[in-house]
Amino acid sequence: MSEAVIEVRAVRKRFGAHEVLRGVSLTAHQGEVVAIIGASGSGKSTLLRCIPLLEAPDEGEIVIGGERLDPANRHQVERVRATLGFVFQSFNLWPHRTVLGNVIEAPVHVQRRPRGECVAEAEALLAKVGLADKRDAWPNELSGGQQQRAAIARALAMRPRALLFDEPTSALDPELVGEVLRVIRALAEEGRTMLIVTHEMSFAADVSSRAIFLDDGVIAEEGPPGQIFRDPATERCRAFVRRHLERHLGR
Amino acid sequence: MRELDFLGATMLQLLGGVPLTVGLTAGSVAVGAVLALLLALLRANSRPGAALVSAYVFVFRGTPLLLQIFFIYYGAGQFAFVRASVLWPFLREPWCCALLALALNDAAYASEILRGGFAAVPKGAVEAGRAVGMTRLLLLRRVVLPLAIRQALPAYGNELIAMVKSTSLASLVTLMEVTGIAYAIISETYRAIEVFLCAGAIYLVLNFALTRAVAVLEAKLGPAGT
Amino acid sequence: MNTSNPFVLLGFGPNGWGASLVAGAAMTLAVSIAAYLVGLVFGGLAAWARIAGPRPARRLVGLYTTVFRGIPELLVIYLVYFGGSEALTSLGHLFGRSGFIGLDGFLAGTLAVGLIAGAYQTEALRGGFLAIPRGEIEAARAVGMGRLLMLRRVIAPRALRFALPGMGNVWQQVLKESALISVTGLSELMRAVNVASDSTRLPFDFGIAGFALYLVLTSFSGGVFRNAERSLARHERAR
Repeated sequence: MSEAVIEVRAVRKRFGAHEVLRGVSLTAHQGEVVAIIGASGSGKSTLLRCIPLLEAPDEGEIVIGGERLDPANRHQVERVRATLGFVFQSFNLWPHRTVLGNVIEAPVHVQRRPRGECVAEAEALLAKVGLADKRDAWPNELSGGQQQRAAIARALAMRPRALLFDEPTSALDPELVGEVLRVIRALAEEGRTMLIVTHEMSFAADVSSRAIFLDDGVIAEEGPPGQIFRDPATERCRAFVRRHLERHLGR
Repeated sequence: MRELDFLGATMLQLLGGVPLTVGLTAGSVAVGAVLALLLALLRANSRPGAALVSAYVFVFRGTPLLLQIFFIYYGAGQFAFVRASVLWPFLREPWCCALLALALNDAAYASEILRGGFAAVPKGAVEAGRAVGMTRLLLLRRVVLPLAIRQALPAYGNELIAMVKSTSLASLVTLMEVTGIAYAIISETYRAIEVFLCAGAIYLVLNFALTRAVAVLEAKLGPAGT
Repeated sequence: MNTSNPFVLLGFGPNGWGASLVAGAAMTLAVSIAAYLVGLVFGGLAAWARIAGPRPARRLVGLYTTVFRGIPELLVIYLVYFGGSEALTSLGHLFGRSGFIGLDGFLAGTLAVGLIAGAYQTEALRGGFLAIPRGEIEAARAVGMGRLLMLRRVIAPRALRFALPGMGNVWQQVLKESALISVTGLSELMRAVNVASDSTRLPFDFGIAGFALYLVLTSFSGGVFRNAERSLARHERAR
């Protein structure tokens, strides 16, 4: 088996009285594309946000590239975050920087790489996500799909060892979903390590090498996409997948 | 044409007060901005600090600026220990007192404006900064402050104009800025309307220049956050 | 020999300045209310002209708000106080009155601060009008309301509700600007503080007293405005 890039060990997380994650463990190996599916409120976004410690788990461990994260060690957390690319549901571009400014911000100021090199690399990344002509545009001048593709370029600019996608198309108008999924698919085909939280079942079935069905804060089912999406072992997973595939076909 | 001569002569005299008006504004706004930033940070970072800052803001926004200026200029000198201290040469100077009062007053207003700016920083922008591994200082410097300042800039532009107007109160502690000179000419000539027109024109030009400068800065800083 | 016991100084006895300070505070309140009402009249007329008037009237209102919001209050007070005869005489002509009209500190202060307040009030009222959801006016039109009825039953109450926060700010401003009227010799609070400070040579003590009295005035009247806002918004659900 290849090297484990991300390990989540028995993580628990509660918000107030509600326990969102009730002991979740998962491992993503080099080059794996892991799809995380589940109903709203099943904890899948929280799980993803726990990986770079955007949420601090109440119990359990996060291990990135063999290094166990200590939430109290801010310096370590910041250093490790810079090696992961996180793509948000609501894009979260910095509104006060142009598209290019967004992409080079962290390479220049967090990784302290030479500006010229970062700009050249950013331009290549923008071309890759189809935004070469938007390098000097402001985020509020872009469509949702363009903003999300810019956000993906921003995540790639960190040369991350893994990409984390938190429902990357949920905030988009239906007609803009395709352009973003195409970019993510291309990244999957490059052999990048990726974790994707998504409601796009057929897309997840297509690109993932492994799928996880999260139900009420625990992993209810895990396996190759052929099993999870076509022949689930549990009734809840079967009902969930069917509902979402129908909705997708009905659209 | 004696009317025009009078207007011309008045204008020339009043223009002599512009450097002091501009100097007082620039000085008090610069000191006020630094204080405002410290107040806003203090307010955001500790509970007793927040209580202290709101008391400060309450007092300085709830009382007339003139009282604040008089209080610093006359009030401090009541005590022998102040008169004996190293600060006395400064506190005796009307220029220093006016500047101090204006700066303290400006800080109260500007810190509230800045607080509004901080509150308007999109959560997602901060989260994205954390996600790429920014330190707290870098996040403040590269994301939070620029967005807060950009958001606060229109309101701060109004505050700057209010400060230009406020410097006129310095004339009541003997400083001969534009309004002080205007008062002197009026009490000499009893031609209030003409003097008002000239002095008013000077202030409107100053305000216009400031408004333009703020607009240019807004354009340079990019669009306000959504 | 003056006493320095603060209880005597600020008290109401023969050596106390309490009565004069309280009288000053009352005068501050009186001149502020008068100026605010003047400002309300100016602001109301100007806002009306700005919203519904012909182009020249709108221009004129624009000039008025730019000038009186952009020029130091002190300068406006000098204009009105010293140029009082000139200005009031021409204003008297406007209302069909001729001849010289005398001017005292109260009148000059009221007029000057009122003129300034009117400029800010214009913006507050206009903002309140613009904030009325279009649909409410359309609904009034749909049920067949005439212009006047609509103004009275829908536009005025709704505009007031949206304008009230801005109108409260104008009041606070008026209250603080009234201190500048002390330059005309009117015995309002600022002047009372100055006189007491000079006579006793205790500017620090009386300065503190001045701060306290102004804070009482501003926070108490601020509360009045907040209550009014709450009662005007009482039918609206929190969103």
